[in-house]
Amino acid sequence: MRTLFVLYDANCAFCRHCRIWLAQQAAFVPLSFIPFQSPEIACRFPGIEEFHPEERLVVVSDEGELWRGEEAWIMCLWALRDYREWSLRLAMPPLRSLARRVCELVSDHRHLLSRWFAKDPPEVLRRKLAELPLTVPTDTGTCNSR
Amino acid sequence: MNAAVWTYLAYLAISVALTVWVAQTLHKNGRVFLVDSFHGNEALADSINHLLLVGFYLINIGYVALAMKYGDKPTDLQGVLEALSTKVGAVLLILGAMHFFNLYVFSKMRRRALLNGAPPPIPPHAHVPVAGR
Repeated sequence: MRTLFVLYDANCAFCRHCRIWLAQQAAFVPLSFIPFQSPEIACRFPGIEEFHPEERLVVVSDEGELWRGEEAWIMCLWALRDYREWSLRLAMPPLRSLARRVCELVSDHRHLLSRWFAKDPPEVLRRKLAELPLTVPTDTGTCNSR
Repeated sequence: MNAAVWTYLAYLAISVALTVWVAQTLHKNGRVFLVDSFHGNEALADSINHLLLVGFYLINIGYVALAMKYGDKPTDLQGVLEALSTKVGAVLLILGAMHFFNLYVFSKMRRRALLNGAPPPIPPHAHVPVAGR
């Protein structure tokens, strides 16, 4: 696996904060963030809509392997250098069901949670995003021209 | 030469011999562990192993040298033996602590190396076609 594409909700301040946090961590597998609202999604991953990225976090590897919900969260941690050990722990049965419940709770209430994170004015958020390295590869085919 | 000097000489000989023995044990048996941690890269494993050995010698012999003059000055054979056992006991405890610290470093390196190559903990939910592949 060379890249893990994270399909996040760009309209949710909490999700954008998670994206910033994830991008700041050292990674074994580089993460690439694409808002699920972007037309690039349907072009890059045809048929992805049936997995409803608007309901739960969806991550896709560059080889087309897809994880959804708590599996996607665990895979994000797995990609990170300092959190891989935790991802292995969370993937085991006792913690897995807890992870699933927390992820469902967070996903269902992400707009409520966003109120806590929406305090940053847009320009601060824009600056934070601009400081991040560009993580979407620019040489992966025809999608960028759309 | 008085009893204190004999104590010092015996203390130095025993402590340095113990340090060399523990260091060689670690050096010899830690190598396999390190080679495995570095995915068979023997040159890197040997280099790290040697650097750890140097650090081990510096800390232990440094402690042995610093601790030499502390304690009661013995005047008879009983005093010599008591002073020796106290000093050598302290050196043994320090060596034991250093030994376990080294083992901890080895296991941490190995765990990190294993994590680096760990496969995804969860099989994928589905496969989707990827454009441009």
